[in-house]
Amino acid sequence: MADTQFSVTTSPHLRTTVTVSSAMRDVLYALAPITLVSIYWFKFNAVFLIAVCLIVAMLTELLFRKAMNKPATLKDGSALVTGLLVALCSGGCSAWWVGALATFIAVGIAKELMGGLGWNRFNPAAFGRISVFLLTPFFYWLGLAFSPLQASFGGLDVITSATPLALLKQGTALPDLGSLFLSFPGGALGETSALALLIGGAYLLYKEHIRWHIPVSIVAGVFVMALLFGDHSTTPFYLTPFYHIFSGGVLLGALFMATDWVTSPITPRGRVIFGLAIGILLMIFRLALGPTEGTCFSILIMNAFVPLIDRLTRQRKFGEAPARPAPVAVKPSLEKSS
Amino acid sequence: MAVSIATFKGGVHPEYFKELTASLAVTPVEPPKQVVIPMLQHIGAPCEPLVKPGDRVLVGEKIGESEAFVSAPVHATVSGEITAVAPHAHPSGQMIEAITIESDGEDSWEQPAAVEFDWEKLSPDEIRRRIREAGIVGLGGAAFPAHVKLAPPEDKPIDTVILNGAECEPYLTADHRLMLEQPQQIVTGLLIMLKILGAGRGIIGIEDNKADALRVMRQEIEGRPELKVASLRTCYPQGAEKMLIEVTAGRTVPAGGLPMDVGVVNHNVGTALAIARAVTEGRPLVERVVTVTGGGVARPANLLVRIGTRVGDLLELCGGMKEDTGKLIIGGPMMGLSQPHPDIPVVKGTSGITVLSDEEFELEEATACIKCAKCVDSCPVNLLPLFLAEAAEHGLIERAEKYRAADCIECGCCSYICPARRPLTQWIRLAKAEVLKRRRQR
Repeated sequence: MADTQFSVTTSPHLRTTVTVSSAMRDVLYALAPITLVSIYWFKFNAVFLIAVCLIVAMLTELLFRKAMNKPATLKDGSALVTGLLVALCSGGCSAWWVGALATFIAVGIAKELMGGLGWNRFNPAAFGRISVFLLTPFFYWLGLAFSPLQASFGGLDVITSATPLALLKQGTALPDLGSLFLSFPGGALGETSALALLIGGAYLLYKEHIRWHIPVSIVAGVFVMALLFGDHSTTPFYLTPFYHIFSGGVLLGALFMATDWVTSPITPRGRVIFGLAIGILLMIFRLALGPTEGTCFSILIMNAFVPLIDRLTRQRKFGEAPARPAPVAVKPSLEKSS
Repeated sequence: MAVSIATFKGGVHPEYFKELTASLAVTPVEPPKQVVIPMLQHIGAPCEPLVKPGDRVLVGEKIGESEAFVSAPVHATVSGEITAVAPHAHPSGQMIEAITIESDGEDSWEQPAAVEFDWEKLSPDEIRRRIREAGIVGLGGAAFPAHVKLAPPEDKPIDTVILNGAECEPYLTADHRLMLEQPQQIVTGLLIMLKILGAGRGIIGIEDNKADALRVMRQEIEGRPELKVASLRTCYPQGAEKMLIEVTAGRTVPAGGLPMDVGVVNHNVGTALAIARAVTEGRPLVERVVTVTGGGVARPANLLVRIGTRVGDLLELCGGMKEDTGKLIIGGPMMGLSQPHPDIPVVKGTSGITVLSDEEFELEEATACIKCAKCVDSCPVNLLPLFLAEAAEHGLIERAEKYRAADCIECGCCSYICPARRPLTQWIRLAKAEVLKRRRQR
């Protein structure tokens, strides 16, 4: 009898059913509504761009891990999430190779070269997107250099097409807030519907993959900054913040990119600091510098501060507050009567 | 039923699987032919055997005793002949000196020495003496000697006694059944404790997945304004000492402190029952209720068994283990100890035997931490399990101490929730043991 062998491990012996792969799958589900809306508006362009980004993401991960002699991790699904996010950050009329390059940088450099999922300090999708944005002048130079060869690189539309924000800046007629909220084909694929993003975000909240702190504090930061410093000349004072929140990459960033597990703080207090800082930074970008890419830039900047935020917001230990003196009187009952 | 709002910060919601045994009344098991009674079934000093091979003993006869204050005597649980005094496999994983008794089949009991069984006429000291003599330890699983908790130092006045009927550990239903079947004895045990400690109120905390137990216990305390039944939200580890005190009494046990620091003594409902029987019947702790459960066992049950019964025999009684049994756990699946084989005795702290089929648990390979912080959100004592485990994994004990490894209550929430399947609790437990060891050496 004594030789009967069962597996012996330390407790706990139960595990939740949620794994990294199942969580990544949930993120893909959550991105489905906005993906569908973007396909509705940009048709084949969107389908093609998304497909290219997904395929490049997987190939890049395979390639890098193979080159570094590491086991394949495609089944964790994180490459697909990064690929899809890069596509959604790209403009509806972007050339396919811009998306492909951004994805390659995102997965290959920002994730795999940093050690793979879990070790990356910066949000891969934001990193990839910002890299191609910064490389724009180089692409123009390339285009000029190769123009004698009649080589076509497709539309050099690295910068997203006129977003409602750009329109706001130019003073052009604006879409009304309602259509901005429901669906409006300005800007990047992932900026076509606030509603679709909110539905996806609600799903992630329900699944407890994200917590409310980061999205809410980003939106709060944007709201306050827009109220205080926004351009109220074309819109009523109280509506300006909503234009800022529902347009551009705010919601995509707040719900899906800033909440990235690996690159966001681990404590509730840290998440609030992180979110507020992103909201404020992105409004500084928008109001002072230029109408595009503020969200991705702000997220990357704050990614760099995460270790510091984590250190500064360590949670108080249980029972650290001085113990209340034991009251002699019986305290009122905690429960409701049945 | 009232909606329970009472809960703590953090925790997890594993599937409970209590329906396997929740509706099954406790069935007494015939005294076995042979029992193996370890000399250490509690936290504290081990007992010295009082008998030798060849001696004959009666049920309830003391066979092991220690001079130490933090210890509890052990008793014969069948009548018959001592056949061995030798080390034997123990649920803790160690080999521990144990006394083997072959039953004579008579089940003859030793007559209780006490004469006065009306507890209200007894002095606190006499009650404490009887509790110690009966060998009562915490029956929820920790097995801390009951009389020690009931003898706090003078400068720690106790005003509240909390009975733990939360039974937050998945699968287990022993406490649930006790509350349904012997509420009167449990309340008596609580009243006895209030008397010893001079405490003014008693609270019985029960998770709201046990509506019937809440109802029965509420009926039982009717007319006693000093007693209260608190409905707690079902959330693991609601029954952990510090959580329970926070939720039911609204007091926070300081880090590194004990419940008595906030005027509270905490006992399991099963312990209250054992105390009542020891004081009012002179009955030593020779049997306990054990839930035998899990998908790996043919007929799950709640059994009243003699301490020292072989776990393997109990499993036979429940139809044996199924082919695909992968894990045998003493206790529940969150905090229980997994065993390599069933040749171990039921001890005082054995609240359950959980047999998991291969489907019910998984051995997945851990991947890199993705800093999702689900472990941080679920930690009931506000630790940062991911950083703590990382420090432990790299042997950085000083850093682990800074991250407060010593405060870990080893509930297992962090390992449970980790999507990367990292064995966080295991690393933290190792670091905690090392930190405590170093502190003792200082």
